[in-house]
Amino acid sequence: MTVQGTNSAIRVGASILRDYLVLVMIAALVALTALIEPKFLSPENLTNIMFQFGPLMMVALGTTFVIIGGFIDLSIAGTINLVAVVTISLIQPMGQVPALLTGLATGTVCGALNSVLILSSGALTQAEALFMTFGLSTVYSAIALLYSHGSTMHFWDITASKSIFQAIGSGSLGFLSWSFVIFLISLAALWVFQEMTAEGRAVRLTGGNKTAARLAGVRISRSIVVIYAIGGFMAALGAIVLFSRVTTASPVIGVGYETNAILAVVVGGTTLKGGKGSVLRTVMGVLLVVLMSNCLNLLGVSTYLQVVAEGAILTFAIWLDNRKHM
Amino acid sequence: MARIRKAVLIGLVLLVVAAFGVSAQAKVKAAFICQNMANESQAFSEKQFMKYGADFGLDMYTFDAKGDSQVESQLVMNCIAQQFKVIFLNPNDINAIVPSLMQAKRAGLIVGMFSSDLSPANQKYRDFYAGSNDVFAGKQAAEAFMKHFPNGAKIVEIGGQAGHDAQIKRHDGFHSVIDSSNIKVIDYKACQQWSTEQAMAIMEDDIVKYGHEIQGVFVHWDNGATGVIQAAKAADLKGLYIIGIDGNRAGYNQVLSGEQAVSISQDFVAMAKKDMELAQKVVKGQQVDPINYIPLNVIDKSTIKNFPVPQW
Repeated sequence: MTVQGTNSAIRVGASILRDYLVLVMIAALVALTALIEPKFLSPENLTNIMFQFGPLMMVALGTTFVIIGGFIDLSIAGTINLVAVVTISLIQPMGQVPALLTGLATGTVCGALNSVLILSSGALTQAEALFMTFGLSTVYSAIALLYSHGSTMHFWDITASKSIFQAIGSGSLGFLSWSFVIFLISLAALWVFQEMTAEGRAVRLTGGNKTAARLAGVRISRSIVVIYAIGGFMAALGAIVLFSRVTTASPVIGVGYETNAILAVVVGGTTLKGGKGSVLRTVMGVLLVVLMSNCLNLLGVSTYLQVVAEGAILTFAIWLDNRKHM
Repeated sequence: MARIRKAVLIGLVLLVVAAFGVSAQAKVKAAFICQNMANESQAFSEKQFMKYGADFGLDMYTFDAKGDSQVESQLVMNCIAQQFKVIFLNPNDINAIVPSLMQAKRAGLIVGMFSSDLSPANQKYRDFYAGSNDVFAGKQAAEAFMKHFPNGAKIVEIGGQAGHDAQIKRHDGFHSVIDSSNIKVIDYKACQQWSTEQAMAIMEDDIVKYGHEIQGVFVHWDNGATGVIQAAKAADLKGLYIIGIDGNRAGYNQVLSGEQAVSISQDFVAMAKKDMELAQKVVKGQQVDPINYIPLNVIDKSTIKNFPVPQW
């Protein structure tokens, strides 16, 4: 092989490594942990990971669309707080199906409200959307606090049937948890929307270049409403999976989810600049975030170091994302 | 007739002025600066200050520091500017709050600490403290384990929010006793927040790693114990001896149902009342004890009948 050929092979290898770095990191993490702690690959732990995967996965799938659309959504934590306390409080008076639907509707309305305020204020850059949605997160959290009077609500307060929520939280369909089944259905629906519909392509165009998208006939305001509504709906789904899992809903239950969701999306390979990305990549990103926590716990790494690891990986992913565009 | 009308009018005005004077004298303007209203125990405490303030001659106002020590310091400065006579506060950061408390003392405010005290070196910047002793709570948890497992056991500890004052003190108190016993703490992890989900995830991971070796769990707060219980149920791990701190409705119900062995209960009503009682005495110029620990109650299956259902 010539020197030129070798250099070319190295460049191709580096390019593949950069594009699929998350898979390499997952493989390395799995191999290292399995070597040190063989119980990592036990069926019990794989089941754990499947359950731990659920809430963040739902939220991150929705966030993927917002980021592909060229925006950001920091209202996720507030939306989760609000949806969780509203839904759990309505199970007793309304029954579980109406409570579930109201919860999902609440999240979707929060998302749509974000987009309406962004559009009406002309905040069409990512930075402007960041501050707008951060403000709205505070508003949604405050409403959750007012609504719940600052109290945590528990399943044992509910005498009406809550079987749907119990199934979502801890039930299984064969060897798959119900939350994992919900994830698979959501993933399939969102992938079809992203790849096979005109609106999905419009979202990507909007994120890539708003002016070009507008000139190409894309109704970017509609795309913005769609991405935030999907983000809100998926945050609501995440909230429902989350409180069903822990059997309680506090008005601060969603704290930290917005950053973890963005972390998972960006680490997965969706660019923060908008226009490029995929829900399938986000699945890899979430898997890395959840696995990292699981592995570091099993390896006995302290909480402080786990936070450092999360921050370092996010910084590295954003650095790599910027390098790709240089 | 005109003179009589004038005299009655003057009399009424004097009466109103006197009434205002008496009212102003009776009511002392006081503020409770809440650490974070999103924290369930703090939201409950705020209600107690508002509910009982008038009983201690206080005209109570409350402010929310939103978990931010910078905001909390600013709120202290606002209280100085607004000429409050008394402030009660639960610091987010016992060191960061000190410069603003120095100014409060210089301005002549009465400063009462609630639930968390300043470090000994800085206690001159407050008048008194009323609250539970988190170190003691940790010790009580250790003693309960030693009593239940006289022949030793393997347990895990799940801490509250890493770096939080209560998490550190509960951990230190627990280890000051348990380390010299025959009980082995096989794993310790603190959470990133006081999050039930994180406590549950840590417990799930511990179950994978240690399985049936785990005989007990010390979890720093009762809502965290809810997550531990769910993880144990999912893994069909029975007979765990679980101890939590707080004594809130979650802990109470879990002890009642037998899922949690012990809840070490903090009495926030007593804490708030004690703080206000101390402030009232200081306003009157009386001497008070600077440190006032409110006793912790150990709620277990045998004592639960002695305690009312918690309001929070």
